[in-house]
Amino acid sequence: MIPVALGISIVAFVTMYAAGDPISLIRAGKPNVDQTTLNALRAYYGLDQPVPIQYLNWLTNILQLNFGKSLYGGQPVIYIIGPKIWPTIELQVVSLLIAFAISIPIAVNSARKPYSKQDVIVTSFSLFGVSMPTFWFGLILIIVFSFTLGWLPSAGAVGAAGFLWWGNPILDQIAHLILPVAVLVYVSLAQNIRLIRANMLEILRSDYILAARASGISERKVVYGYALRNAITPALTFLAIALGGMIAGAPMTEYVFSWPGLGRQYVQSTLNLDFPTIMGITMIITVMMLIANLIMDILYVYIDPRVRIR
Amino acid sequence: MTPMNPENNKPNAGYKRRSASQWAVAWRRFRRNKAGVAGLIIVLAVVFVGIFGDALAPYPAFPNPKALTPFYNGDVRTPPSSKYLLGTDVLGTDVLSDILHGTKYALYVGVVVTAITMAIAIVVGSIAGYFGSWIDNVLMRLTEVFLVFPSLLFILIFVRVFTLGAGAGASFNFLGISIPIGLTIVIFVLAVFNWPGDARMIRGEFMRIRELEFIEAEKALGASNRRIIFRHILPNILSSIIVVASLTIAYAILLEAGVSFLGFGDVNTMTWGQILENNFSDMRIVWWAEVFPGLAILITVFGFNLLGDGLSDALNPRLRD
Repeated sequence: MIPVALGISIVAFVTMYAAGDPISLIRAGKPNVDQTTLNALRAYYGLDQPVPIQYLNWLTNILQLNFGKSLYGGQPVIYIIGPKIWPTIELQVVSLLIAFAISIPIAVNSARKPYSKQDVIVTSFSLFGVSMPTFWFGLILIIVFSFTLGWLPSAGAVGAAGFLWWGNPILDQIAHLILPVAVLVYVSLAQNIRLIRANMLEILRSDYILAARASGISERKVVYGYALRNAITPALTFLAIALGGMIAGAPMTEYVFSWPGLGRQYVQSTLNLDFPTIMGITMIITVMMLIANLIMDILYVYIDPRVRIR
Repeated sequence: MTPMNPENNKPNAGYKRRSASQWAVAWRRFRRNKAGVAGLIIVLAVVFVGIFGDALAPYPAFPNPKALTPFYNGDVRTPPSSKYLLGTDVLGTDVLSDILHGTKYALYVGVVVTAITMAIAIVVGSIAGYFGSWIDNVLMRLTEVFLVFPSLLFILIFVRVFTLGAGAGASFNFLGISIPIGLTIVIFVLAVFNWPGDARMIRGEFMRIRELEFIEAEKALGASNRRIIFRHILPNILSSIIVVASLTIAYAILLEAGVSFLGFGDVNTMTWGQILENNFSDMRIVWWAEVFPGLAILITVFGFNLLGDGLSDALNPRLRD
């Protein structure tokens, strides 16, 4: 885990700083800044040193949770990122749980009767979901539920001061969550269903299921107790990757719904070429993903007894 | 015995005793798959619009939407009407024309990203899958780094940094067609971050086929590695490559739309994602400029996905019942 985090940080750092010195990149549109100011800025941000030294400096700082200063306004990066971590986690975790809870029964049912009417509807809907631009689905939801019907807020994570949706801080939170969660759930639902269904189809054909059915075990137990366990293990591996996909999709969803999270900040910082903030967000997302992977590994042990260490 | 036609109980007219080729069998199987055929029709229609879109569009393409004074005919934010079938956007361009002009860019993105992606993936996948051992180990760790980390984040940095140098509206000539440089940079970045998944798939196929008896027989006959890879393994996984390529085209179009929508695209090239981005802040008014270009993306990507699934069923019958 630690080597992976280190690897990602090196790749991100080197590619970013190899692409160019941020000060001259930012200066591109502003020819009036003179050389002395540029040099002073470089010295202030420690950009006058070679890239490997810069990386080591950055690494020692980050191990002390010092993310450096933003190139865009000079604020400490931690003040920019800090308040945005929770909204992202909230959005991702809620969507992930809902998506998984819904996708299992749907996928199992359509795998039990492959190519039936229900299965065809489910598979076409999930193919449709895979084909839809995430952000565009969000736009449609906003146009319908927010602009036309006026039922739900179109932007932000909390109501503006003095106006709370549905008159209560908690309900207000929920009102703001509904649309972005709907987008994330639909998108990952499509992937989950396609994957679990494919696994289930293969497993339901295997000999041990035939044996279980032959010995008169109830259909419910055969499907949910015997088959699902095996079908879900590959899906869990995928879930870890899907989480990456969701976090990767987060910039889109957060941008559409003006969600005050890491993804939207990332887009903003990248447009501003604010390298220290980009690195900070990259590292936080990496750590979040590694933690998710760890949780997944632990879950494995519970679901798949073969993984357990004797 | 000559096969009989069940309808009139006579031998089939023009029947030749020739076994059907693998592709003829696949085509017959594909034809029966309604979803796959629908996908093929959509894809052909999109290709048609991509080629003739400029001629079909009721209004000319807008050359430089953000750089020039945008309001070229004064009708800004007009709702759909008989004059502008899908309305006009915040810049005063006709949305229908924009979509038709943009089709060629979508295809350009899809095809070129896929070509580069598959080229890298086939090289890496074959080497890792065929030679195994430490080469495989090194290459697979490399793809894992790409896979673990959400590549969109890297894509955004790269696109942002590399498009800084590209001049506004610059383009180069290729076979007499002018191709925007900004969009081409985006394409290369997308391809560079897109290959790892496909490389793993190709590696898996290579490892599966490498273990089959006929490869062992080839080796016993003294065939070189090159011959085995190019003459025996690659043709065998061609069908998988075709399927993945079709799905990769779909994915690349989606990804480019997303990158453009976030404001990282080539502002001088009106791709579908760019139309969505330009009108995003005014979408409360110009909903038609958000709904219809997105619908174009959805239909195109859906077409390629359907085609990919259909091809997969037709070419890899093992996966089906």
